[in-house]
Amino acid sequence: MPPPQPVPTKAPPAPDYKTVAAQFATAKRAKEVEDATKAHEDIQQEQERSSLQDRQREALEARRKASYEKRWLWNVAFWVWMLTIHVVGLAYFTSGFLLTRLMLDEKSSCDAPPTTGNEILPAWKGKGTVDGGCWHPKTFERAVVVVIDALRYDFTIPVDDDAKFHNAFPFMYDTALRSPNNSFLRPFIADPPTATLQRLKGLTTGTLPTFVDVGTSFAGTAIEEDNLLMQLRDAGKRIVHLGDDTWDALFPGYFEADMSKSYDSFNVWDLHTVDNGVIEHIFPLMNRKNDWDLLIAHCLGVDHAGHRYGPDHGNMTAKLAQMDTFIRDLAVTIDDKTVLIVMGDHGMDSKGDHGGESDDEVEAALWMYSPNSVFGRTKSEFATPPATAKIRPVNQIDLVPTLALLLGIPIPYNNLGRPIEEAFAGAAGTAWDNLAAAESTAAAGIKRYQASYFAAQGIKESNTTPDSPAEFWAKAEELLSTTHSKRGGAKDKWAAVYSAFADYQQETLARCKSLWAQFDIKNMALGIAVMTAGVFTLLVYVTKGAEDDSGAVDDPELDLAEKSLEMQGVKADAEIISARNMDKTFVGAALLGALPIFGGGVLQSFISGVGDWYRGAGFAALTSTATVLVTMYESKETLVNLIPKTVWGWMAVVFTVSQSVGFASNSYTIWEDSILLFFIATFGFATALAAIRLPNLADRYLSIYHSILFVLLGRLASFSKLCREEQMPYCRSTYYASATSSTSAPWQLAIPFVVFLVLPSIIKAYLVPSRSYEGLAPAWIGYVFRTGLFMAAAYWALDAADNGNWFPGLPANTLKTLSVYLAQTILGLALVAGTTAFVWAPPCVSILTAARQLGTAQVTVLGYGNAHGARYLLLPLNILAACFLLSKPMGGGALAIMMWQVLSLVEILDFNSLTFEAIGPVMLAVLGNFHFFKTGHQAVLSTIQWDSAFIPLFTIRYPWSPIVVALNTFGGQILAVATVPLLVLWKVSPQRKGLLVLLSRAYGLFLAYFAVEALATMAWAGHLRRHLMLYRVFCPRFMTAAAVLLVVDLFGIVIALAGARCNTMAIGEVFGWVE
Amino acid sequence: MPLVDPVTMSSSIAKGAAAQAVQSSPITKGNESQQQQQHPIQLRQTPLAQSARHALPALIAAVFLIRFDSLVNKPDPAPTMKTSLPVVAALQLAYAMICLPVAGSAGSQNAKASSSRKPRLGEKKSKSGGGGGGDGPNGYVAAVLSLVLTTFVTPFLYIVMILFGAPFLTHGAHTFLCAAHLAVLVFFPLFYAHGVDSAAWAAVGSFRAPFDETFGGLVGGVVGGWLGAVPIPLDWDREWQKWPVTVLCGIYGGYFLGRILGGTVLFGKRF
Repeated sequence: MPPPQPVPTKAPPAPDYKTVAAQFATAKRAKEVEDATKAHEDIQQEQERSSLQDRQREALEARRKASYEKRWLWNVAFWVWMLTIHVVGLAYFTSGFLLTRLMLDEKSSCDAPPTTGNEILPAWKGKGTVDGGCWHPKTFERAVVVVIDALRYDFTIPVDDDAKFHNAFPFMYDTALRSPNNSFLRPFIADPPTATLQRLKGLTTGTLPTFVDVGTSFAGTAIEEDNLLMQLRDAGKRIVHLGDDTWDALFPGYFEADMSKSYDSFNVWDLHTVDNGVIEHIFPLMNRKNDWDLLIAHCLGVDHAGHRYGPDHGNMTAKLAQMDTFIRDLAVTIDDKTVLIVMGDHGMDSKGDHGGESDDEVEAALWMYSPNSVFGRTKSEFATPPATAKIRPVNQIDLVPTLALLLGIPIPYNNLGRPIEEAFAGAAGTAWDNLAAAESTAAAGIKRYQASYFAAQGIKESNTTPDSPAEFWAKAEELLSTTHSKRGGAKDKWAAVYSAFADYQQETLARCKSLWAQFDIKNMALGIAVMTAGVFTLLVYVTKGAEDDSGAVDDPELDLAEKSLEMQGVKADAEIISARNMDKTFVGAALLGALPIFGGGVLQSFISGVGDWYRGAGFAALTSTATVLVTMYESKETLVNLIPKTVWGWMAVVFTVSQSVGFASNSYTIWEDSILLFFIATFGFATALAAIRLPNLADRYLSIYHSILFVLLGRLASFSKLCREEQMPYCRSTYYASATSSTSAPWQLAIPFVVFLVLPSIIKAYLVPSRSYEGLAPAWIGYVFRTGLFMAAAYWALDAADNGNWFPGLPANTLKTLSVYLAQTILGLALVAGTTAFVWAPPCVSILTAARQLGTAQVTVLGYGNAHGARYLLLPLNILAACFLLSKPMGGGALAIMMWQVLSLVEILDFNSLTFEAIGPVMLAVLGNFHFFKTGHQAVLSTIQWDSAFIPLFTIRYPWSPIVVALNTFGGQILAVATVPLLVLWKVSPQRKGLLVLLSRAYGLFLAYFAVEALATMAWAGHLRRHLMLYRVFCPRFMTAAAVLLVVDLFGIVIALAGARCNTMAIGEVFGWVE
Repeated sequence: MPLVDPVTMSSSIAKGAAAQAVQSSPITKGNESQQQQQHPIQLRQTPLAQSARHALPALIAAVFLIRFDSLVNKPDPAPTMKTSLPVVAALQLAYAMICLPVAGSAGSQNAKASSSRKPRLGEKKSKSGGGGGGDGPNGYVAAVLSLVLTTFVTPFLYIVMILFGAPFLTHGAHTFLCAAHLAVLVFFPLFYAHGVDSAAWAAVGSFRAPFDETFGGLVGGVVGGWLGAVPIPLDWDREWQKWPVTVLCGIYGGYFLGRILGGTVLFGKRF
């Protein structure tokens, strides 16, 4: 199945509106001729004159059209420049903010242990060699590591409830309880971010992941730091890998090709291929134990079940039961010289997603097993595995020194973990000397690594402060040497040494966690400066000339006079010309400001050969905004304009600024959805009260009606909620069937059907009063759009049938195949056919010519007064249809409500003459953000609905899958930006001039809201970079704001500006050019 | 384009509406011209009224402050709100009857007649004394009617609070009591002073009325309640953050501020 075709935006075939234009011209001529007859003039003469006029008129129209196209291009160029400024600002800040860690090249080697003298254990056979154990006596010959992705700790222990994810995987717990000397089970705490790639890095290198790793996550670069696999490979060991192909990306060329087998990692739709493949390939390998030394098996089924269905689903039970059998069978095949390690690389939140640092996401399980009695407990009460993940947890990085020492290889150089107690305590649990030896070796490695790290940074490690790691180290060393000197003493003295080194390790780890990363303040500041300059430019741009309402000319007489003047070759007012060509001036200034610095940067990098050609971009962006601002100032734009002059202007400022200030507080960030509802209600009630002032009674009531409706719909949409963890316990999720599911409830499947029945009629009701339900509108809205909605509703019914296995008789994948093709058809209809139809469509008007009396004809154009808005509306409806399908039933309902609210909003603005106020675009932006939350999202990574990628596709396909996920995630904002032109075009007749300038200003105001939010979240995230909630709250909010800003930047140009151009062209062709 | 088309929404509706307006209520029309000249409400000039003007708000504030502790520290604020509501209502009733001119009386009358009737104002007042009613309309009847209207307006305020995001399925009593406090505090005096005079209410509703104690109280109470929602999301886990304590505090604080400012520095001014 081919992916949806790219949306054609250019080169439309001869548009349909030509026929309407011809119709219109004929009707008009009939009237003119009739007028002429009435005037008793010579027909011949009149015809000559009219043909001359026709020619003149045509020439003028052509000139106006060409001028419009040119101005439109300059306008787009200006917004592209603004997009560039935003990209540069965000990129600079991000490069400094997303934490980076120095990568050290040093590797541990077998013959150079980090310990210096004071050996705790007597020399063992083969000391200093991999065969005997490099730094510690070796325990096992080989290891089998089974990673069960997203294996949360509570999945593995008995829990007294009926949850579908509990008590399905009892084998590991039972074994640990029954034979504690053969196995142990402990909580296994991941360091955030809890994405598989970062986790695998941590699990093999022993270091803390930093945020910049997330950036490289998509590129999947190989690990170059010292790690377990590298040590094994360098020691000549053979590694086999089965399962998740992330390992291939991290460790290219490490695995024995003939035995390894990897599978696609991101195919979350598919629960079984990876697991079945692993199980199929692993058992034959267990009979060939001499052919490998490390066997890694990475199962993805549990993780995918979580992503697709949420933990509380029958498929999760089945998956866990399958894993139980698998591990049970696998344990049987393990011999005395092999250790079996089963672990989760991270957990999952209540909906089955992960990525953040909530408790459920970081709490995985670790189980180690050997038929040989090697594992011990230092206290008898430790024999029972902990009842919750809060008790006796192990850090995931601790696996690194543990496995290294057990297999006899050196601990990787960058390791910060400590050996796991059970593995070295001996079967009796009293081998304190062994424990102390392992702990001191690991601690010495950490000490050596820290020294190298500080040296590489050029910082001297301070050892004067009390409670510093250095202090702990000194204490441990002293204790070691005193204990050492009286060697014959009690064996349990080693316990003290052991805990002293453990203290050092813990303190160092804590230090690293809090202070590790180096924020690049310089880049962050530059990024903030660029964004600030961009926001300031944007604000000056949108407020310039706000007073002289350039679109106000709606007087046909005046237009006629102007036109005839223009026909005679008289140039229009110089001021108007300059106002219209402003964009050109600004773009020129922008380039003038940017090019020298940017070129200088490129040149310098060329000369110095460093290759960072982009280094001048930050300063180039600053000089560029500076020159643009200077240009704006020259055209009499002053700062005074920035201060709002009406209560509505103030409202727009208060909404934007108060929210931006609120982003400094985690509470206001967490409860953003409720705050947006509060703003929506405030605006609605304010306009309802303002409507009381309207002199016309019908206007007053209609306006109040729309205002109240706007508020009611907002409150109705607010019942669609997906709570983030921090909102608990004050929030109940309703987006899915339950809080622990990611499928829709049966009743939610009815929502798309209701929308299918109701929404087209509602839209019709907004077009009928202005007689705009004409032209293409009845066919497109009444039939095509409605069909699209119906098919989307059917899609979700099919999907539910597939998930719930309602028709067990059907052959496998029938429903899935059907629904995917259905989804592709809907997207094709909405985006491809929809765009074609929009480009083609005649204005939504109907021309009636009626003979009124004898000899007189009356021409009536139905829908003339809303010619611009009604036609443009077709475009956002197409976007809505696409997002409606991709947003799941509940989200689709929210988006339908949003469309309704937008229509009410434009009516409210029209009634209260607020069309040119800032509040319109700002409210639209608020609506967009509000419905981001109402379509099942939060400003955290884990709410990205990855499974939406599989709505129109069977597998991951670039670039379609990311586009689909983006349409799902930012559906609200994309719909909002698509409707920005409606603010300006609604209830606007073809005679309106200067629409491009008005649209550009409205779009600028809309963008300003998002730009201010991006700037605010950026500044706060930078300022609060040591805050406890940085990665939970502030960083994800900044990333959301940055992504949203770029999305509205991009879609504003592609949808709003391009769509408005198509629209103006079509209207202009039919009714003549007024621009 | 010489061709002008009559079929636009605004024009067609304007026509219809104009006709409607003419047909339905010439009164409305008359009121609209009045609306421009809406006058601030003068408090009665009697010594009792002048002292009650200062004493009663102080009493309400005292009631609020005394009850504040139990409002915040009891696990459920609803009973406290319930018991203090009649007290506040009684105080507001006293305030209205002592200080405010009853709806339809000279003090609350506007423009049209005020210049001609002003001289008579003093005489009438001395006649009726501090008793209760005003000239013409009976103060007691007006008070009862205002209370009834206040009761009617409470469910609407409740719905408005829900629309602003107040809990829908839970805390019903809390939200309703909060709405009732707002109604008694802010709307009762307005009902007493304006009755059901649609022109006056249109002026008040569209925020075009001149500032006086009642209108200032309305603006203050509404804005205060709005601002009262601001501290709710903060994760400080304080007792006073529970619903609807902050909003209630905002309403009371805003009301007093608005009433004082409306009666003094802002008196007679408009937005």
